[in-house]
Amino acid sequence: MSNEVKTKEKVDMDPKYIITLTVTLFITCVIVAGLLGLVNGVTAGPIAEINQQKTQEAMLAVVADPDNTTFSESPLENTQAMTDAASSAGGTLGDIYEVQVNGEAGGYAVTVSASGSQGTIEMMVGVDASGAVTGVSVINHSETSGIGTKVVGNEPTASGVGVLDQFVGKSAADGTLTVGTNVDAITGATVSTRGITTGVNAALAAVGAMG
Amino acid sequence: MNLGKQFKEGLITNNPVLVQVLGMCSTMAITTSFFNGLGMGISVLVILTLSNVIIAAIRKIIPDKIRIAMFIVVIAGFVTCVDLLIQAFVPALSESLGVFIPLIVVNCIILGRAEAFSYKNGIGASFWDGIFQGFGYTVVLLIMCVIREFLGAGTILGGLLEIGENGLSFGLGTAAGIRILPEQFPIGMLTLPVGGFLILACLIAAMQWALSKSKNKEESK
Repeated sequence: MSNEVKTKEKVDMDPKYIITLTVTLFITCVIVAGLLGLVNGVTAGPIAEINQQKTQEAMLAVVADPDNTTFSESPLENTQAMTDAASSAGGTLGDIYEVQVNGEAGGYAVTVSASGSQGTIEMMVGVDASGAVTGVSVINHSETSGIGTKVVGNEPTASGVGVLDQFVGKSAADGTLTVGTNVDAITGATVSTRGITTGVNAALAAVGAMG
Repeated sequence: MNLGKQFKEGLITNNPVLVQVLGMCSTMAITTSFFNGLGMGISVLVILTLSNVIIAAIRKIIPDKIRIAMFIVVIAGFVTCVDLLIQAFVPALSESLGVFIPLIVVNCIILGRAEAFSYKNGIGASFWDGIFQGFGYTVVLLIMCVIREFLGAGTILGGLLEIGENGLSFGLGTAAGIRILPEQFPIGMLTLPVGGFLILACLIAAMQWALSKSKNKEESK
């Protein structure tokens, strides 16, 4: 036993061998990194374009009049008050884009995330100039396929209105939105619906904190 | 080089999923629609072949002590390349497979074949090993997808074809599939992870039964 340990130590301590190991691994990493750089150069453009397009589509989906609406190119700067307002409502504030209807300021498109049943749901909430919700759409989620995805897919609740559509027209004046009182959930997907509700509350809170 | 034998090994006698029981995570997680299975299968096939060839090519200069680290660096490099390419050119696939593309890095089929085959064999044999093992993996994924999609969602060929107002149309990643069972009949549970376990267990059992049967036959001859 002691013999075995000694030989092992001897091999490990041999500087030449260690240098060979290090150099081989280092060269491999350099070559692989170079290859990745090349591929990244080719794909960075298309990927950025696709992401831009996805955000654009999500924003168009949450405004009342998509044909006459434009958005600010870059997001607004989030103030501390806005971030705090969103987190006290239970969500995390993302980028906020200014919405312009026919060239006039017409509210905001707010990206916000809140936890659903399986992970974070990232959504876009449209809020008009009067502070009422104009639409909700989900950008990223990991809800259970076939259950939570019903919420993402805007399927109708028991009252017959799409689960995402029911938020349209709600504003901070309605008080905090809660599943069961002023929001209907989809049967079996209460937690996912709650996640969306939290997100909408956070978005309204953030817009309210803008002053 | 014995291509026929290697082909038979990859597809049947040494199938990566059903016999070596490797790559379970992705097999169960993504086999809910035909499109997902096809995309995942092809991605793994490409990465497996590339990493097999490179590892076979540099196997003589890899010091034995750090071979695992070298394998992982090579594999991770290829996986990231494929991930970026899919994100850029097949966004529908990257959306439906999500995190499972980067997770190919830790798919044991690739590391397993590097250690068991390409580290000990030549470039040509390793290339074909990658193709055949990848093909065996893809075939099993597709079988799982077809069963789970048919019984769990009631459709076939989801993500590739759908019958709309204009008849049969092709939509990569967006098509809803051809509906076979009416919407109220499918067993939704089969598209959840538990369904993956059930179907995979049945497939493995069937495979083992077939293998032992043919083995008995050979012995009795």
